[in-house]
Amino acid sequence: MESVFSARDVTKFYDMGEVRVHALRGVSLELYAGEMMVLLGPSGSGKSTFLNILGGLDRASAGQVLYRNFDITLANDSELTQYRRKHVGFVFQFYNLIPSLTALENVAAVTEIATNPMKPEEALELVGLADRMHHFPSQLSGGQQQRVAIARAIAKRPSVLLCDEPTGALDSETGVVVLEAIDKVNRELGAATAVITHNADIAGMADRVVHMSNGQVSGVEVNAHRKAPRELHW
Amino acid sequence: MKLRALDRKLFRDLWAVRGQVIAISLVLAAGVATYVMAASTLDSLQRTQARLYREFRFPDVFAGMKRAPDGVLAQVAAIPGVANVEARVAAPANIELAGYGQPVSGLIVGLPHGEAQFNLLHLHAGRMPEPGREREALVSDGFAKAHKLRPRFPLQVTINGRRRMLEVVGVVSTPEFIYQLAPGSIVPDFKTYVVVWMDGRALEGAYDMTGAFNQVAASLQRGTRVEDVVAAMDAILRPYGGLGAQGRKDQVSHRYLSEEFKQLTMMATLFPAIFLSVAAFLLNVVVSRLMTTQRSQIATLKAFGYTTGAVAVHFLKFTAVIVLLGTVLGIGGGAWLGGGLSRLYMDVYRFPYLDYSLRPVVIGISLAVGLVAAGAGTLVAVLRAAGESPAVAMQPANPGRYRRSLFETAWLSQPTRMILRNIERRPVKSLLSVIGVAMSTAILVLGGFWGDAVDYMVFAQLRRAQLDDVTVTFIGPVSTRAMYSLLSLPGVTYAEPTRAVAARFRFEQRTYRTALQGMEPEGRLRRLLDTRLEPVTLPEEGVLLTDHLAKMLGIRPGEMLTVELLEGSRAVREVPVAGVVSEYIGVSAYMRRDTLNRFLREGDSATGAFLSVDSRALPELYARLKKIPAVAGSAERAQVLRSFYETLAAQMLTFAFFNTLLASTIAIGVVYNTVRISLSERGRELASLRVLGYTRSEVSYILLGELTVLVFVAIPVGLVMGRGLAGVMAGSAQTELFRIPMVVEPSTYALAALVVAVATVLSAFTVGRKINHLDLVEVLKARE
Repeated sequence: MESVFSARDVTKFYDMGEVRVHALRGVSLELYAGEMMVLLGPSGSGKSTFLNILGGLDRASAGQVLYRNFDITLANDSELTQYRRKHVGFVFQFYNLIPSLTALENVAAVTEIATNPMKPEEALELVGLADRMHHFPSQLSGGQQQRVAIARAIAKRPSVLLCDEPTGALDSETGVVVLEAIDKVNRELGAATAVITHNADIAGMADRVVHMSNGQVSGVEVNAHRKAPRELHW
Repeated sequence: MKLRALDRKLFRDLWAVRGQVIAISLVLAAGVATYVMAASTLDSLQRTQARLYREFRFPDVFAGMKRAPDGVLAQVAAIPGVANVEARVAAPANIELAGYGQPVSGLIVGLPHGEAQFNLLHLHAGRMPEPGREREALVSDGFAKAHKLRPRFPLQVTINGRRRMLEVVGVVSTPEFIYQLAPGSIVPDFKTYVVVWMDGRALEGAYDMTGAFNQVAASLQRGTRVEDVVAAMDAILRPYGGLGAQGRKDQVSHRYLSEEFKQLTMMATLFPAIFLSVAAFLLNVVVSRLMTTQRSQIATLKAFGYTTGAVAVHFLKFTAVIVLLGTVLGIGGGAWLGGGLSRLYMDVYRFPYLDYSLRPVVIGISLAVGLVAAGAGTLVAVLRAAGESPAVAMQPANPGRYRRSLFETAWLSQPTRMILRNIERRPVKSLLSVIGVAMSTAILVLGGFWGDAVDYMVFAQLRRAQLDDVTVTFIGPVSTRAMYSLLSLPGVTYAEPTRAVAARFRFEQRTYRTALQGMEPEGRLRRLLDTRLEPVTLPEEGVLLTDHLAKMLGIRPGEMLTVELLEGSRAVREVPVAGVVSEYIGVSAYMRRDTLNRFLREGDSATGAFLSVDSRALPELYARLKKIPAVAGSAERAQVLRSFYETLAAQMLTFAFFNTLLASTIAIGVVYNTVRISLSERGRELASLRVLGYTRSEVSYILLGELTVLVFVAIPVGLVMGRGLAGVMAGSAQTELFRIPMVVEPSTYALAALVVAVATVLSAFTVGRKINHLDLVEVLKARE
């Protein structure tokens, strides 16, 4: 299978005064094209740090991360900006929508700077929000806001979709709707998707589940059958 | 003492936003400095004046006359209410200073025979003359300083056409001549005018005044009315050619000093009032916004169980630190500038010392303004935040409610939409930002306006109205045939006679003493102008008054003015006011010279002449003029212009320059704070965009674009406001010395706009660097 990301011995530490805190202690991992991967682990296990490094938001202290043939660890700041702009879709726990823009415009804010985007309307339709396009974030529920965020992330047709606790701020009912949207864009667009969660029940929707603890990969399991989000319960 | 946790937090928070703390403190400091500078300068000058008058015994009533025998002094002393009297001789003189080509005129004052009663002399250098040494003399300190002279040096004086050599042994100042003005001039010129003190008896001999005097001064007993003594003195002195007694308020030095103080009071009231209110307003707005960014902290503290009161006190301490910093900076800076400004005034006002004063009330007011403005801003924001339940306030703020703005079209990019909607969503905040920037633009205009006004005054008076190169004054009236002699002098191409006479003008119960000037009807070198600087024709009968004189007398064209001549025929006559002329410097009345000659019951005579001179011949002309006994003095227009800029204009312009400096500080502080707070309010949003792949410059565009729109709106508003403020200032700056014309040059507007634009660019640059360092990872986790 074609590998989108290939991480080799990725280490990340923070120097906090006299103490050195290791967030990642040599993580090696592949993310394959079109794959749905769930990163599972307790808080502090290093999964967000790893995802931020994949997304070009943070830098590894040592090791190598290749995005196809592009070495992210060697990229400078403006190369990272271009990388995020062209290839990466982000979904965050707190949505991070622009409050002054409508749903449609929030998506357009990204499609305007992308090279081969879909239409913003199309992206919103994909997440089931065609009828809410002209609402401002303040007029949308949390789940709807998160779906706008997903539409915004995928409208550029990213090669990778990185989701950090996308359901963390939502109740389970709404969470399922959001996960369905993620599942759908993964299947229909074929974007390699990594979802971070500390909720083991969500792992069922993945092709592969990566367990992390203490800054290391503690185990990888492959799901023979990928469950639909509807079938998940928590 | 161990700091409580909350206080430690206070200092850390202050340190974290130190850039803003400094910027806000500077805004307040600039406002306070303006006030402290102006108030301390004015207080110091007035206090020095009062102390000087007391210590050096400045008399209450003054009178001049042609010649009164010594015996008359006893009559003056016998006037009820008079405490002390002193008589002396004073004589106008031509002065020759070796090595200085230009003509110098002066007043020679006889030292009293015994112990001096009034106007004691403060010795700056050298020594007092030995009694009986007739050649020893003293000079006024302004002259010595202007020529860098140290005693002893020779001085040649021509009194009554006779030359004498004096030896200057000391340099002095005295309350009588704090403001030194040569007769007929509008500007002090220390190079070309000097007061000389010499042995009284020697002067009496030289001026044919043995056994007589021509000046008398008196001090009054407590409770005596000055007018009563003036009237009694006039009655006694009239037979001796009395020129009219006067109280302190008409004494030349005192009067000009009072007028200048009036002007300074106006500047010292309006400027600080405007600056301080601008600073207070901005302080209020900025502090309130800064506090709003602390919303979640306020909630967290409340969640811990701190009361709203305790939280409010905590944040009040936060702003109190800013206010104290600003006030201390402002008082220090203001006192420093005030000291400098006072010394500048001292160059013109010949005070022997300066009693610098910074009253506690000034400090109190400064502090109170800052505390109230910042305190109110803090409380409003803190109470609003504390009003929310902690659970709600600790949540990420709900997405703000936005709507489409009015100006949108389909082709706008999303970032541009964000700019417009942000401005429109919080119209009050946007409006306050606009007002803040507009106000700082306005005070910049106000600072520059002063320079424009002074330039226009000079343009109108010295380039449009006065076209002569040299003005010659005779020692008394001479026949106009003297013009022919003047025309024969080197370089003189044209000569125009003029007749000036001291007069008292009366309308209803108001009187004013100034010169009545007889002018040539078709004069080429002196023109009377209206407000549009167009020449006004002199009517055959009647007088033209300076517009300000007409205003002071409350008289309108067509009404009859009582004119009392104070010399010569001493005629009193009702004369119609034919019109007013626009003059920005001094006040005068004008009449046709032939009409004035008839009024004076004299032939075709003149007391001075205006000359056109080929400038190359000036040194030679001066050399010749000095040798003509009938010439009391001469003044060169270029020199008058120079001394105007060196003295009065220098004072006003320095004051205005300091204010411009402080206004720029305010402008920078305001703009920086506006954009800096925007950044704290919107950091999360901007970082989110960075995460989505927006470049730094694209993100900066959103923040700085908003700032640019606000500044673009604010600048024109500020220019208009500035013009309005300048109008208020010009309206209240009307004294006998000056009327400030309402003139604002395009360059002043441009400079004000430029300073604000530069402040914006600098602030944008600083904040742009902060945008580059937005923590992308942190923003995704942090709630707010």
